[in-house]
Amino acid sequence: MRPAVCNRIDITVSLVGDTVAAVGILPRVKPPVGRLFAGKPAVSLLDVLPRLFPLCAAAHRVAFLSAIEAARGQEVSTMTRAHCTTQVVVERLTELIRGLIIEHLALDISGSAAIRALIKDNSVLVGREGYQSGPDRCAVTARVAAALAGLRISDDDGTLMPGSALALRMAALEGGVLEPKLTQQSFLSAADDCEIIERLLGRDARSGNCPDLEGRIPETGPWARQMLRDRLSLGRSGPAERLKARIAEIVQLFTWLKAGAHPETAEEGIVKSYSLGRGCGAAGVECARGRLYHAVELDRYGQIARFEYLAPTEWNFHKRGPLARSLQGAVLRARQHQEGAVRAMIASFDPCVAFTQKIVESGHA
Amino acid sequence: MCLSVPAEVARILPNDMAIVSVDGVRIEISIALVQDLAPGDYVLVHVGFALAKIDAAEARRTLKLLQELGRAGLETNS
Repeated sequence: MRPAVCNRIDITVSLVGDTVAAVGILPRVKPPVGRLFAGKPAVSLLDVLPRLFPLCAAAHRVAFLSAIEAARGQEVSTMTRAHCTTQVVVERLTELIRGLIIEHLALDISGSAAIRALIKDNSVLVGREGYQSGPDRCAVTARVAAALAGLRISDDDGTLMPGSALALRMAALEGGVLEPKLTQQSFLSAADDCEIIERLLGRDARSGNCPDLEGRIPETGPWARQMLRDRLSLGRSGPAERLKARIAEIVQLFTWLKAGAHPETAEEGIVKSYSLGRGCGAAGVECARGRLYHAVELDRYGQIARFEYLAPTEWNFHKRGPLARSLQGAVLRARQHQEGAVRAMIASFDPCVAFTQKIVESGHA
Repeated sequence: MCLSVPAEVARILPNDMAIVSVDGVRIEISIALVQDLAPGDYVLVHVGFALAKIDAAEARRTLKLLQELGRAGLETNS
């Protein structure tokens, strides 16, 4: 029984000389989750979300629960909201660290046990009752600290230990085989939630696969969040910048956890829900890859009448989106390293996206 | 969002690598992020890495779900 869901993005880069003249992105087919669960109880979908999306299981679970609560018009307690925020942050932190290993092979033997412990148990510890005030919080903090030590990252300021695998990788990326153009950037934030949710629950069924906001296709993820924090919009978005943003965010989230994980000091918009009336609700959650949306409509029996979701990948890997913009017009200097440079650029948006790449010579401008 | 696929561990290789079987198709993956695997175990695989160990029943349920999603997708597009 072979899984019949295509989970891969095909990317073609056309060169004229050493310059990227065109970028073709063939998106993956989004699994029709809403169609499969229409007419079923909400709990049936809640049960399968972690199995479908294990990389962002907590984010999906929180987004779905928040959307359902909003659809029912339920008030969410402060404690529940704090718990959801912590779950999302710890998963984001763990996923950002895992991404360093997958993208940059930053793991050496001495650090492997610490990374395994972090990935294996964090979700369990955070999911327990009394996490905020109990020993589980200390255990999670200690595991993140051990993982950062294993990766040779300072947990104070994100400095990389000279000579470490990650420091060497950073130096190679900064070497710049691929030089992207300095361009005006656009970033997704909670300020876009209402417009996106309106489109998700509107009649345009294609919006989930090819989103845009009045022609704007913003980037989402660690670099976008950093640019929003720093209030910048003009930037050169290469793999080195994205790796630095990823490391900076890991340290920032770790600092927040160590300080007690107080929801009032968490970044704005990590979890936001919207009650839309008539059994409709939606939520936006800031996960490792960027902003994730769920929108639900319940029928009069409380069953799922409609479920829509929008993943960060749909923005970042949109055919006219941030990846395409970053590659378009970029100069690829060393011909023998072009494949690796393009691969690094693609993976810098999301190390966990399955993709193929092809570089072709166009010949003429 | 990234879907993960259940796979059965067929053979453990040196350097934290393994051969796994996804419905009879054998692929080589890294098992650096999951401890104590043996042939016959099931794992969730994503972009060449084992993410987590799961039991056989969970693997079957997830494969069935992915199959149903695939069929629903074909019906939507036909």
